[in-house]
Amino acid sequence: MRLAYWMYEGTAHHGVGRIANSLRGVHAVFHAPQGDDYVNPIFTMLERSPDFPQMTTSLVSGRDLAQGTIQLPETLRQVEAKLHPELIVICASCSTTLLQEDLEQVADSAEIATEVLVYDANPYRMQETTAADGLFTTLVQRYARSQPLTRQPSVNLLGPASLGFHVRSDMIALRRMLAALGVEVNVVAPWGANLADLSRLPAAWVTLAPYRELGTEAARLLETQFGTPALLDAPIGVKPTQAWLERLVALLNEVGARNNGPAIRMPRLTAFSLDGMSAPSGVPWFARTADMESFSRKRAFAFGDATHTVGVIKFLRDELGMEIAGAGTYLKNQADWMRAQLADYLPNDLLVTDQFQEVANRIEQDMPDLVCGTQMERHSCRKLEVPCMVIAPPTHIENHLLGFYPFLGFAGADVIADRVYTTTKLGLEKHLIDLFGDAGLEYADEASGTEGHAANNGNGKEDAAVAVGGTTAQQPASTTPASDQLEWSPEAQAMLKKVPFFVRRKAQRNTEKFAQEHGYTTITPDVLRAAKEEIGG
Amino acid sequence: MPPRSKSGLIREDSAYHSFCGLACVGWLYQKIQDSFFLILGTHTCAHLLQNVLGVMVFARPRFAVALIEEGDLSRPQPDLQPLLDEIKANHQPSVIFLLSSCTPEVMKVEFQGLADALSTPELPVLFVPASGLDYTFSQAEDSVLQSLVPFCPTAPADDKRVVFLGSVNDMIADDFAAEAERLGIPVGGFLPAGRFNALPAIGPGTVIAPLQPYLAKVATRLNRERGATVLSSLFPFGPDGTRAFWEDLAAMFDKQVDLSAREAAAWERLREHTDLLRGKKVFFTADNLMELPLARFLRSAGCQVIECSSPYINRRFHARELAALEGVKIVEQPNFDRQLRDIAEVQPDLVISTMATTNPLIGQGVVAKWSTEFAFMPIHGWAGVNTLAGMFTQSLRRHAQLPPLDDPDWTAGFMPGVIPLETN
Repeated sequence: MRLAYWMYEGTAHHGVGRIANSLRGVHAVFHAPQGDDYVNPIFTMLERSPDFPQMTTSLVSGRDLAQGTIQLPETLRQVEAKLHPELIVICASCSTTLLQEDLEQVADSAEIATEVLVYDANPYRMQETTAADGLFTTLVQRYARSQPLTRQPSVNLLGPASLGFHVRSDMIALRRMLAALGVEVNVVAPWGANLADLSRLPAAWVTLAPYRELGTEAARLLETQFGTPALLDAPIGVKPTQAWLERLVALLNEVGARNNGPAIRMPRLTAFSLDGMSAPSGVPWFARTADMESFSRKRAFAFGDATHTVGVIKFLRDELGMEIAGAGTYLKNQADWMRAQLADYLPNDLLVTDQFQEVANRIEQDMPDLVCGTQMERHSCRKLEVPCMVIAPPTHIENHLLGFYPFLGFAGADVIADRVYTTTKLGLEKHLIDLFGDAGLEYADEASGTEGHAANNGNGKEDAAVAVGGTTAQQPASTTPASDQLEWSPEAQAMLKKVPFFVRRKAQRNTEKFAQEHGYTTITPDVLRAAKEEIGG
Repeated sequence: MPPRSKSGLIREDSAYHSFCGLACVGWLYQKIQDSFFLILGTHTCAHLLQNVLGVMVFARPRFAVALIEEGDLSRPQPDLQPLLDEIKANHQPSVIFLLSSCTPEVMKVEFQGLADALSTPELPVLFVPASGLDYTFSQAEDSVLQSLVPFCPTAPADDKRVVFLGSVNDMIADDFAAEAERLGIPVGGFLPAGRFNALPAIGPGTVIAPLQPYLAKVATRLNRERGATVLSSLFPFGPDGTRAFWEDLAAMFDKQVDLSAREAAAWERLREHTDLLRGKKVFFTADNLMELPLARFLRSAGCQVIECSSPYINRRFHARELAALEGVKIVEQPNFDRQLRDIAEVQPDLVISTMATTNPLIGQGVVAKWSTEFAFMPIHGWAGVNTLAGMFTQSLRRHAQLPPLDDPDWTAGFMPGVIPLETN
């Protein structure tokens, strides 16, 4: 047993709800106490659902347990009468799983005409991602039907789902690239698909499944059972997007050659831009500009799901020229794949943990110049005064914005590069401050006294300042060195204050570490200077 | 037809949307500053807290879940001592509240015994029933306060003072203490107090004045165990409720107070709000157990309350509010689908509904507002009347000010399951 504060993944029933809410004509029924209904507002608040999420909690109360009554049959009848879904997916919750009821039998006793699937999502063995992917694969298995290919080259796009990370923008980015190639979209699923769409999946020439977390298994299933080639790469970054397009064209042309279909030709790059005549992404030129010179020495750490963490690490090093301090994931079952993908990128072992404190400790040890993480890392980095951008779920309401911010494709590369640029400290400006000090910027120190209060006001506003990054809203910096065993002499404190505020915490930590290693108990200007010499400032 | 009890209340099947009792951790851990809230629960409980409290940023939250994982399911009494040691080392709390949740309830964990075994004189561990099997939202504050009762010192019988019941923020507490002083009512304190070791003395002379409408059980218990008298009045929301609250409280201290002028002045100050509220049809779908006094205030403000539903109604504790709502349809443990049908038929001007249902209602063209907000706003007493009235009128004004959502395409794509067919 352990203490848990924040979780990276949602529960299994949340994963089931995400799939049901993505599909048309599918409704989830949770056999659960009322408290488990909390997943419902996640959809209505984060995704701002203009209609009721496609899930119903069939209540289990203390009285039901005492009297042996069960509401589920009546709930199923009500859902059928009111919503007329094509399929109802039933799943138990963490508490009702323990009751070991035969939900198949209970569902039969409702005597409804609607098709019912009892999905065994054991909440002690699986969490959100596994439950969602497992249910989606089950549905594809259940409904996909062998059939002729579409006449024109076409693809399935598997993986986008309700509450997915930036999936609406990703779908737009992918659809635009496919349009530039002249490729039709056969089915997008689960987002917006109905059961008939799932049955049509084998009509596509190729299946695209860019997200490791959802859709990959279904794409493999279509490949083995119906011979639909699967393209499982994520087009994150410019070169990976180009390679992805080339692979897609090759796969389509192989299928076309076998079926006497039309051939696809790769258009020139500008065809993939928004206006059809510019570079499809600004990143290749941007990364070479003098402005970006200083980024080549910046160290980045990434933590998140598998798809985005791997994609972003490769992008930061290969396309922005940054250094990689490390990476990690909370998805234990993806760790092997990630290790293989990042073998040439990581200076140390992949961090695999679902405890946010471990990630925070790692960031505190490394003090990278940029963290790409989840909402949890954003919280941790705020405390540590490290610039952080969110690249993976779990998300905050601020990650659900209205604009077009894809992470996939050429447009996605621009979005990620822009976020890196605005999140980290700038180059020339930083040189100036390093050289001449931060006179006039000391207001940041004065603000530090209010930090604790701001954290508790509950309106989320203080987060906004962090989200826009270190270039404009400067992080409050602690000026008073604090350590359990070490003492700072007033002279050393004054000297520390001359270190630019945004690296002051790092300098303080490095100096204290140096002092401890060398047996100093008081940090004097001499110790500070010695530390600076040894560590390099 | 749903059963209608003798008192005129309708009780339905509880198929409404709300949070479980664990949600009360969100404000109580802030209110009781030297506390720690430990939930014996599962990943689900942690995920709930994260999403309910996710808008806030906590560097060192004083609440956590003792996580029941698969291997723990076979052990009937979990070993929480190591976790307690960790909490002690990191947070140095004066009291730990041990909250129950659904899974350990199903496992039949004996919570009282567990809490007693962990409890020491230096660091009491108090059992708080809060599971979603039996408790909803603000209701679990009642459980928390009950667990504190044994730690309130006993006041002597001749010590006649008022103790205000219910967690309110410090500013509101100061207002109430000052107002009592102005009326010559001696103040014994607040339950809960800001710190565990500052709990008020309660005895036969104590008058318990409930500030929140969801604390029926602790009030009853203070009466039964300490002989305290519980004020039976309106709850101090709105000019009408606040006047009745203070006049009735003063009467218990043998003081005749006439606050009619003050109430009239407060209504006068609210005129811009009441002009807008007059004649408006309002519907409460049930969430935070504050529905009765809020509906009563709106009725006094000239609204037509179509339905006032609440998860739990106590005929004694809520007697005065129920009397003031005579003629209004009042439903306990409502069925949300039935409410939806009624809303479609009656077309209320304003629906006060839960976090789960508000945006979808707005999507159907209904002016709706989060009920949850009322649990976190300073709407008590004379100082709160403007805020209270403004919360209702803000919704009406905002929606009136925005151009109509005149084409279903404006919400296209926001919800994958309802995308029009032709787009896929």
